[in-house]
Amino acid sequence: MSEASPTSQLRCIVVTPEETVLDATADFIAIPLFDGELGVGRGHSPMIGRLGYGELRLRTGSESDRYYVDGGFVQVVDNVVSVLTNRSLKASAVDTVSASEQLAEALTRKVGGEEALAIRDRQISQSRAQLRVGLNSK
Amino acid sequence: MANPRELDQRRKSVRNIRKITRTMELIATARFKKAMDRAAAATAYTDRITQLVSDLAKTGLQVSHPLLEQREKTDRAVLLVLTANRGLCGGFNGNLIRAALDRWKQLKEEVPECRLEISGKRGIGGFKFRGHVADQTYTHFEDRPSFTEVELIANRYLDEYTVGAIDRLDVVYMKYESVSRQNVSVETLLPLGSLGDSAPEAELAATSGPQYDFLPSPESILEEVVPTSFKVKLFKCFLDSAVSEQIARMVAMKGATENAGDLIKTLSMQYNRARQGRITSELMDLIGGVEALK
Repeated sequence: MSEASPTSQLRCIVVTPEETVLDATADFIAIPLFDGELGVGRGHSPMIGRLGYGELRLRTGSESDRYYVDGGFVQVVDNVVSVLTNRSLKASAVDTVSASEQLAEALTRKVGGEEALAIRDRQISQSRAQLRVGLNSK
Repeated sequence: MANPRELDQRRKSVRNIRKITRTMELIATARFKKAMDRAAAATAYTDRITQLVSDLAKTGLQVSHPLLEQREKTDRAVLLVLTANRGLCGGFNGNLIRAALDRWKQLKEEVPECRLEISGKRGIGGFKFRGHVADQTYTHFEDRPSFTEVELIANRYLDEYTVGAIDRLDVVYMKYESVSRQNVSVETLLPLGSLGDSAPEAELAATSGPQYDFLPSPESILEEVVPTSFKVKLFKCFLDSAVSEQIARMVAMKGATENAGDLIKTLSMQYNRARQGRITSELMDLIGGVEALK
């Protein structure tokens, strides 16, 4: 176990290759893992996980912030949650129109071969997650 | 004797040029700062990725991945050259083209099937002039390359590499070392070779540090980390190249401004001398005439 005291603040850092999107403290953080959501509170045991496409939620007091996260990794250690992702934006900034277009395009596209199939599946789940996050925040 | 009016005109035009180069220097400085900030922001990501990898290594996991392994035979190779879209940045483009050309010739001898890809108008032009036509060109990377754009290219390389359409990827770019030092660098990005230089440290720290839970498993995370780290490496090349270009332009334009200043000084001196010479000769004429009338 780590020596982090359970009383220290829980910190969340979201970095993309282009910038540090978020560096804030929160009481509770919900992370979209590849197979479902994971809740992290203070004093969580050290963990490395794979992210899926979905919504990152931070709750501080009664306020909550929502972000869209586009895959990547999460590392939890010493009350610091580092999220490494390709792209991240505020849930309200998600472009639902282009996401639904992408979804419609991906659903109707005909593909052959395993590789192309995997790419299509990825695009479908990605745009579905964007839609879900974007519409929820409206 | 030089014509004072001509000298004056030349001095004026040099002054105008100095104004332009000074402005370009200032613009390059501003852009350099922005590009630098972006590069620093990217470092935060790379640092965390390397940390993640070293934590993975601590679990005693055998780090192996198709992207990391050297292929037995290299039949198809790609050379990617990152140059600038604009000139007026000293030896930046020239040095890159020279290094890339050497590598290209070498690669052609070693590997039966080679493909040349160039980013930047200067590089495209430079290679065309020397009789090499690029198979693929990019001109949309300015001083702010975005990760989404680079990712598109990176994904294409990854796909081609996995299906065996390419066996090797070399990148020629200007590596940023410090503000006063940038070097042309030729790197082999595919196969990756190693995941950062964290391995020795990781071994040292193997006994300490927290015990991580892995979701779903270390292997699956590694599978994701390797392509990501390739993408980030490629992105870093683009960022480095952008930063170095601005520095090169800044330095070149600073030199040009200083030169113009020196030129103005010399021209001013010549102009003043010519003007004084003319006045003196007119005076001599006058005095000569007066003497003759006596």
